Amino acid sequence: MSQDLEKRTREVLEESTARLDGRTLSRLTQARHAALDQLQQPVHRRWSRFVPAGAAAAVAVLAVVMWSGPDRPIVESSPVDDVDMLADSDAPVFAEGDDLEFYEWAADEIDT
Amino acid sequence: MTAFVTLRGVYNTPVFRDQELMASRALEQFLESVERRAFKIAQLGLRNEDDALDAVQDAMMKLVQSYASRGSDEWRPLFYRILANRIRDMQRRRTVRGRIMAWLPQREDEDEEFDPVAQAPSAEPTPARRLEIDEAIGALETAIAELPPRQQQAFLLRNFEGLDVSETASAMGCSEGSVKTHYFRALETLRARLGEVI
Repeated sequence: MSQDLEKRTREVLEESTARLDGRTLSRLTQARHAALDQLQQPVHRRWSRFVPAGAAAAVAVLAVVMWSGPDRPIVESSPVDDVDMLADSDAPVFAEGDDLEFYEWAADEIDT
Repeated sequence: MTAFVTLRGVYNTPVFRDQELMASRALEQFLESVERRAFKIAQLGLRNEDDALDAVQDAMMKLVQSYASRGSDEWRPLFYRILANRIRDMQRRRTVRGRIMAWLPQREDEDEEFDPVAQAPSAEPTPARRLEIDEAIGALETAIAELPPRQQQAFLLRNFEGLDVSETASAMGCSEGSVKTHYFRALETLRARLGEVI
C-alpha cells in the first residue's frame, strides 16, 4: 500500500514535470547557460578580480621593505635641534670610556 | 608580468582547455538532468513559477561558481542543499512581506497578460486521459504544497528526486533519522489527504 502510494505519486509528479510549458523550459535553459557562462570566462579574467587586492598587498609589502630595509636614509636633525642641545649646559655628556660607577656614586652621595 | 604570461600560457595549453571543456560538459549534463525536477520542487515549495525559476537559477549559479571543481557525485546533494536554502529564504521573505502587505489595500494585477503560446503544454495526451491526469496532478500538488516545509522537502527529495537517505540528510542539513521521520509523516499525511484520488 505504502509502496503503491510512493510509486503513484512519483509517476504523477513525473507526468507533471513532463508537461512543463515552453516558456518555463526556455527559461530553465537560459538559467543553465547563464550559470555555465561563468566557466567560459577566460582564466585571466577570473584571476583579474584578485588584481586590486594583490596590487594593494604588493604596495604594502614594498612600503614595509623600504621603511625597514638597510638602505633606509638616516633622518638628519634640523639646525634648530643642534642649537638647543648645545645650549643646554645642564645636560651631562657621557663619552665612551667615562667611569659610570663614579657617576652612580656621586648621585648616591647627593641623595644622602 | 612574466609570471602572468607563464600562467596564461599554462591555462591556454590544449590539455587544460580539454579538461575545462569536459568539466563544463559534465556540469551542463548534470544541470540539464535536474533542472525540471528542481523547478517542480521549487514551485511546490514557493507556489509561484517566477520565484521557482529564480530559485533554480540562483542554485545553478552558486553550484557552478563555488562547487564546479568538486567531484560530480557531490553535485546533486550540494545543488539540492543550495536550492533548499534558497527556497527557505524566499519563504521567510514572503512571510515578512505578507505581514507588511496585509496592512495595505489590495489591487487588481493589471500587468499580467495571458500568452496562449507561452502557456501551451509541451505534449498533448488524449482528452479523457488528460482530465484524469489533471485531477491527479492537481490533487497531489495541492496536498504536497500544504505539507510542512521539512516534510515536503524530505518527501520530494527522497521520492521524486530519488536521493537516498544519506544524500537527503546532506541536502536538508539534518540527521538521517530526521529525514526518515519527516518522510514517514509526509507519506501518512498524503495517504490521508489523497485517499483514492491517485
